[in-house]
Amino acid sequence: MDDIQAIFFEECAEGLAIAEQGLSAMQDGDVSAETIAGVFRAVHSIKGGAGAFGHAELTKFAHYFENVLDEVRAGRIAPTAGVTRVMLSAFDVLTDHVAFARGIAPAPADAAAIAALEAVLRDRGAESEDSPATVAIEEPAAAPVDDDPFGFEPVGVVLDDLDAPAIEEAPAAWTIVFAPSRGAMANGAEPMLVVREVEMMGGRIESVDISSLPSLRDMDPEQGYFSWTLSLPGTVTEESITECFDFVAPDSKVEISRAASVEQRPEVAPVSTEAPPSAPRLSLVETPPEDVAVKTVERAPEPAAQNIRVDLVKLDLLLNLVGELVIRNSILADRLSPADQQRVELPELARLTRQIQDNVMSLRAQPIRQAFSRVPRMLRDLASETGKQVTLETIGETTEVDKGVIEKIGDPLTHLIRNAVDHGIETPEQRIAAGKPPQGTIRLSAEQKGARIFVRVSDDGKGIDRARVRAKAVERGIIAADVQMTDEEIDQLICAPGFSTAESISNISGRGVGMDVVRSNVEALGGRVEIASTPGEGTSFTMVLPLTLAILDGMIVRLAGQRFVLPLANVTETVQPAPGQVKRTSPTTEVIDMRGQYFPVKRATDIFELHGAERPIEDSLVVIVESESAGHVGLVVDTIDDRREVVIKSLDQNLYPIRGLGGATILGDGSIALILDIEALVASPGSTSRFALKGMAA
Amino acid sequence: MSSIEKHGDRKIVTFSLSHQTFGIDMQSLIEIREWEEPTPLPTVPPFIKGVTNLRGNVVPVIGLAERLGWEPSKIHARSCVLVVQIGDKQAGFLVDEVSDIVAIGDQEIQPAPDVEIGEPSLILGLVRVASRTKDASGAEDKGQMVLLLDLDALSLTRHLDLAA
Repeated sequence: MDDIQAIFFEECAEGLAIAEQGLSAMQDGDVSAETIAGVFRAVHSIKGGAGAFGHAELTKFAHYFENVLDEVRAGRIAPTAGVTRVMLSAFDVLTDHVAFARGIAPAPADAAAIAALEAVLRDRGAESEDSPATVAIEEPAAAPVDDDPFGFEPVGVVLDDLDAPAIEEAPAAWTIVFAPSRGAMANGAEPMLVVREVEMMGGRIESVDISSLPSLRDMDPEQGYFSWTLSLPGTVTEESITECFDFVAPDSKVEISRAASVEQRPEVAPVSTEAPPSAPRLSLVETPPEDVAVKTVERAPEPAAQNIRVDLVKLDLLLNLVGELVIRNSILADRLSPADQQRVELPELARLTRQIQDNVMSLRAQPIRQAFSRVPRMLRDLASETGKQVTLETIGETTEVDKGVIEKIGDPLTHLIRNAVDHGIETPEQRIAAGKPPQGTIRLSAEQKGARIFVRVSDDGKGIDRARVRAKAVERGIIAADVQMTDEEIDQLICAPGFSTAESISNISGRGVGMDVVRSNVEALGGRVEIASTPGEGTSFTMVLPLTLAILDGMIVRLAGQRFVLPLANVTETVQPAPGQVKRTSPTTEVIDMRGQYFPVKRATDIFELHGAERPIEDSLVVIVESESAGHVGLVVDTIDDRREVVIKSLDQNLYPIRGLGGATILGDGSIALILDIEALVASPGSTSRFALKGMAA
Repeated sequence: MSSIEKHGDRKIVTFSLSHQTFGIDMQSLIEIREWEEPTPLPTVPPFIKGVTNLRGNVVPVIGLAERLGWEPSKIHARSCVLVVQIGDKQAGFLVDEVSDIVAIGDQEIQPAPDVEIGEPSLILGLVRVASRTKDASGAEDKGQMVLLLDLDALSLTRHLDLAA
């Protein structure tokens, strides 16, 4: 059950993302039938699933929301900006309700949102009483209700029409006609239990129709012959009634109606005539086969996208196996005689294997939209908390990134957006005074360049106040008071641990952990954070991330004869030092002269205490790497063997993390090469704060 | 472990190491491989010989003799690596020679005399196992003492925890 529940929440998340996208589109003026229907479908699915899992609060709220959406979809309520706004805030509450149902958030206060939704429904009643209800039925595109993964029959359309106004009226008593199908009991259904359940809710059996009961001789005790007419107090919610009938046999007849509802609600009549003739009033679950056929015709064509859910673990296993296949392939190639290697089969096999690998890799890729989808909501909350006006521009949300990356950039992204609103964008008054439009803009963009993904959050706010940042860093003891720093270095200070320029700690940002967390999260992914800021014009933060977590573009180098992989992302250039180009500055430290700039030189063999034959520096190569913490550093290696993409295997899966190593990989011959962690290698051992170190060194 | 223990309810793999006979629970054994020079790791204790590729997994290889405080094993033709599962991790143990698989009852295991100092005992207990082949002298079968290893205590991360 928990598994199914987990799938439900996964679907909720997807549904919410779709709904949000749709609502945002509506806000931007796209009120096409597909957009509205998409939102409706999403909310309807959430409601259906929530009902099945007994999340009463969620079901209830989703139901109110769905009522309004249904009216909008049917054209009875115009999707004006006001209505859209109400729906957007309802969406936010719905999100909270889903979180509550998952047990990860407290129950949201939804009274205001429900009141707003009811107001929208009521206004519709006053303004457009005459609008024909049949519109909903005649417009096929508007009634695609069957997006329900739980297989519930999509008959909510009629039901909602009935229920919506009833909420505002004094509830009339319910009348239920329940006729289990003949074969119900043979199918394992037990009508008696259903009737008892209704009784438990305060229901009463009004009458039992035994007219279809045959003579005793012809009676089959395993068949159902009775039908019941039940009554229930009007205070019972419709959901709890329908819940009782969730598990009746498929062909059973269930009619639920409010007493006297036909007289009170004449506009329901046209809808009813569209309903199957066997249920002249309002039907909830009435599913003889021909009825299903009718409904299918009404449905809009489903979007063609076909998806299956696959456990990520299975995908990763597949990826591992394919990696193995590639390796075995090249081992095989090595063992064959040159003549055999030239034959067509081997290159063909290699090509196919590569293709399989590429395809399996692409399975893990997902559009980054998933990570972006929660931003609009967050911005709305932030805007209302801070009183600032912010619009969001999103670019490149279809960029595909490894699923693991998407999952892990959520938190950094949240921090960056919060920072942009809290520290970047000014209040409307300040903006007007600065000659800017009162509304600030946050631009969220993603693009792929080579094997890297650039996710950028930029604002048109006031920019980083470098004097203040510097003063704060000195005050916090992060840097010494007399240190000379470039603008970029000062900007980087805001990522230092324990740094925060917030004058007072707000609940949005300013706890002094935000940017530090962004930086460490991004670095943990093998990426880096770039900051660019122009005073008065704005700031942009760029997360430069690897396309995938599993594959690394690397340079195979040798240190003391052993092969290591150097991540190519860190490498800026490689030089064979000329005599005198590398000079000692102390008995243990060296620098390399690169066109007049001196970079420190480190010998990886020393760091790792590897003992190979001492090579003169002129016979070695110096790879210049760029690091976050120490800038450009020259790394001495014996030779460079190759450049290739390697599959990253973690060392701590069976061992523990080793400082200076980012993992291991399996080379073409089946042997293992260790992957160097440049940041850890170039950072001086034992330094706890690289910023303190940097400040003192400068 | 059930309270009713009959003879032979546990299978152990015995192997020799520095002329002693050791045993590990058969349940933990994944496979026995030929010795193959592993890729050395920097900055690790000397008993970690390196890492090797076990069907796409990177698995550390441990010089068991050194780990237990004996002279390091000399590599020879019968040297092999016992790949074992310890908790959720895998590790390979370099041993001199794999001898046998024997069934023992839990009641046959005697606690090891507590003589080790400093580190918690790596020996689960001692057990006497009858030799399968008669001694060349043909004299009475005195059996052989097997030191049963506590694999959990040999876990590499445990060592890390202790060192910290």
